[in-house]
Amino acid sequence: MTQLSIRALEKRYGEVPAVRGIDLEVGEGALVSLLGPSGCGKTTTLRCVAGFETPNSGHIRFDGADVTDLPPEKRDIGMVFQNYALFPHMTVRENLAFGLEMRRVSKDQMAKRIADVLSMVQLGGYEGRYPRELSGGQQQRVALARALVIEPKLLLLDEPLANLDAKLRDEMRFFIRSLQRRVGITAMYVTHDQAEAMVMSDQIVVMFDGRIHQIGDAHAVYDRPATKQVANFIGASNLLEGQISAREGNHWRLRTRLGDLLCGGGYEPAIGSQGMVMIRPEAVALSATAPTDLPSFPGVVKERHFLGNLTDYRIALPDGSEFQVQDAAHSSFEAGAAIHLAMPADRAWLLREEPA
Amino acid sequence: MKQGTSRAWLLATPVLATVGLLLMLPYLNIVTMSFRVPSTTKAYAEGFTTDNYTRALFDWLYLETLADTLKLAAIVTFFCLILAYPVAFHLARTKSRWRGLLYGLLLSPLLVGVVIRSFGWIILLANNGLVNQALRAWDLPRAALMYNEFGVILALVHIFLPFMALPLMGAIQAIDPRLEEAARSLGGGKKEVFFRVLLPLSAPGIQSGCILVFILSCGAYVTPMLIGAGRVHTTTTTVVQMLDQFLWPFGAALALILAAVGVICVALFGFATNRFMRGQA
Repeated sequence: MTQLSIRALEKRYGEVPAVRGIDLEVGEGALVSLLGPSGCGKTTTLRCVAGFETPNSGHIRFDGADVTDLPPEKRDIGMVFQNYALFPHMTVRENLAFGLEMRRVSKDQMAKRIADVLSMVQLGGYEGRYPRELSGGQQQRVALARALVIEPKLLLLDEPLANLDAKLRDEMRFFIRSLQRRVGITAMYVTHDQAEAMVMSDQIVVMFDGRIHQIGDAHAVYDRPATKQVANFIGASNLLEGQISAREGNHWRLRTRLGDLLCGGGYEPAIGSQGMVMIRPEAVALSATAPTDLPSFPGVVKERHFLGNLTDYRIALPDGSEFQVQDAAHSSFEAGAAIHLAMPADRAWLLREEPA
Repeated sequence: MKQGTSRAWLLATPVLATVGLLLMLPYLNIVTMSFRVPSTTKAYAEGFTTDNYTRALFDWLYLETLADTLKLAAIVTFFCLILAYPVAFHLARTKSRWRGLLYGLLLSPLLVGVVIRSFGWIILLANNGLVNQALRAWDLPRAALMYNEFGVILALVHIFLPFMALPLMGAIQAIDPRLEEAARSLGGGKKEVFFRVLLPLSAPGIQSGCILVFILSCGAYVTPMLIGAGRVHTTTTTVVQMLDQFLWPFGAALALILAAVGVICVALFGFATNRFMRGQA
C-alpha cells in the first residue's frame, strides 16, 4: 500500500491557473474523493498525480519518493477513465494483458492474474469479447480490472461512473468501494457528484477554483462545511447573516434580523464581527407554537410539496426571505399556516467566506 | 409509402444517368472493342476475336510491363504511406493555430493539375534542370533524375501524397487520445503506445489510403509519360502507344486486364489487412 503526498501543487494553462497550491495527504489504503464543480481543478490534480500534466510547481510523492518528473508509464499507476478508454481492437483478455506484458510478467502468471481479476469484477468467461460487445457497466468493470491487474501503487479514477445510468451508478459505487477495500489499494477518485463522494470516500476533498476548501469525511463536509461554497455545493442549505454577539459554552450567539440563534463553528470569530450561518433544511423542527427550549423564528408556510420520503416546505420569514425546511413525510402544515421554526444550536454552523 | 419510394428513385436518376452514360457505356464500348479485329485503316475490322487477350496474357513483354506497373504502384504507395503518416498524425493531433494553414499546404498540390506538376518536376529533374545545374555549380557529377523509374516514383509520390494523408488523418482523428493515456498509464512507452495502440487503430486509414494511391498509381499516365519520356514503360503508356499504332482492340484488352489485375490486387490487400481491423465496427 502506498501513501500519496501532494505538496504546494500549482498548474497553470498559459496564464489561467487551474490548480492554485494544493496540499494533500492520502493515507495507505484510503480512498480520497476530489469533489467540486467542473473547472475546479479536480481533474487537473488527478492528471498531475497520473503524470499526464506537468505541474508548474510543487511536488508529488508516492511513499516519500518524488515522482513529479516521472512520465506516467514509470509511475506504476492504474487509471480508470470516464469513457473507460478500453482498447477497441483488443479483446478483454488482451486489454488486461497489455499492462502485464509491459511489466514482462510470465505467460503462466499472466493467465492466472487475468483470471483472478476477472472473477473479482464478476466477468469470468468474457475474456474473448471485444469492448463494443459489452454493456457500459461491463466495460466499466473491464476498465477497473485492467487498472487493478497490474497491481499498481495507486488507483486513479476520473469520474468513472459519469457515463452510466442512475441505477447502475448506484450499484457501481458500492462495487468499486468494496473492491478497493478488498484489494487494499490507495485510491484517488474524481467526481462532481456529492452523493458518490459521500458513499465512497474515507476523505472528501472539496475544491473550488483551484483551491481546497475542505478536507473531511462525509459528516464533516455535510454538517460542518468550512465555507459558504462547500455548504451550497453539498446538499441544500439555508443561510442567515448576523452579528456575533457572545460566546456561550461551545456555541456562539448570532444576532440576526429575525432574532438571536445559537450556532457552532469551525473557527474562532471575533465578538462583534459579521457571521454567516448555515442550517440544513432537515435540521429545523416546525411547530404550531413557539418552542421554549430553543431559539426560534416565526414564519408562514408558503408552499408544501410531498416528496414521498419527506415533505418539503418553503417558509416565508417576517423579513421577506424564504427558508427551506424538510420535515417528515406526513407532516401536515397547510399553506398559509403560521408556524415556528426551531433552530437547534448543534445543526447551525458558522461559515467562512474564503478557505483558511 | 409506395409512392414515396418511387419518388425517391426520381432523386437518384441524375446520378444514375451520369454514371450510366459517362461510365458504363464507355466501359461497355471498351469491352466490345477488346474483342474486335484490328484494322490499319479504321478503328477496327469486321468480326470478333479473342486474339487480343491471348497476346496480352501470353506475350512476355506485356506481362513484364504489367508487373513493372504494379511494382511501381506498390513502391509509390509504400513511400506515400511512410511520408504521409507523420504529417497526418501531426495534423490530426495538433492544437496549433496554424492548423488550417498546414491543412491547406497539404492539399495545395491538388490545386494544380497533374500535367503542370509533372512539368514542374521536369524543370527540377531534367538533365539540365535546376538540381543538375546546382550539382554542376558544385563540380559534382550529373545525376540521372529523370527518364527513369526514380523520377516517375518521386513525382507520383508527390502527386498522390494528399490521397494518402487525408484518409490517414481521418482515421487518426478518430482515435481517442485517452487510449494513448490509458496505454501509458499501464506502463507503455512511446514505442509500445505507437505499435500496439495507434498503428493498429489507424489501420482503416492505412488501408483506404493505400488502396487509393495504389489504384491511382496503376492508372497514372501523364506523369510516367512526361517524366519517363518514353524510357519508363507502364501498361498505361503501352495502351496509349497502341492507339498510335491503330491497335485499339489490343489497347482495350490491355486496359481491361490492368483494371482487372488492379481490382484483384486491391481485393487481396483488403482481405489481408482486414484482420488488423478486428474489434472495430
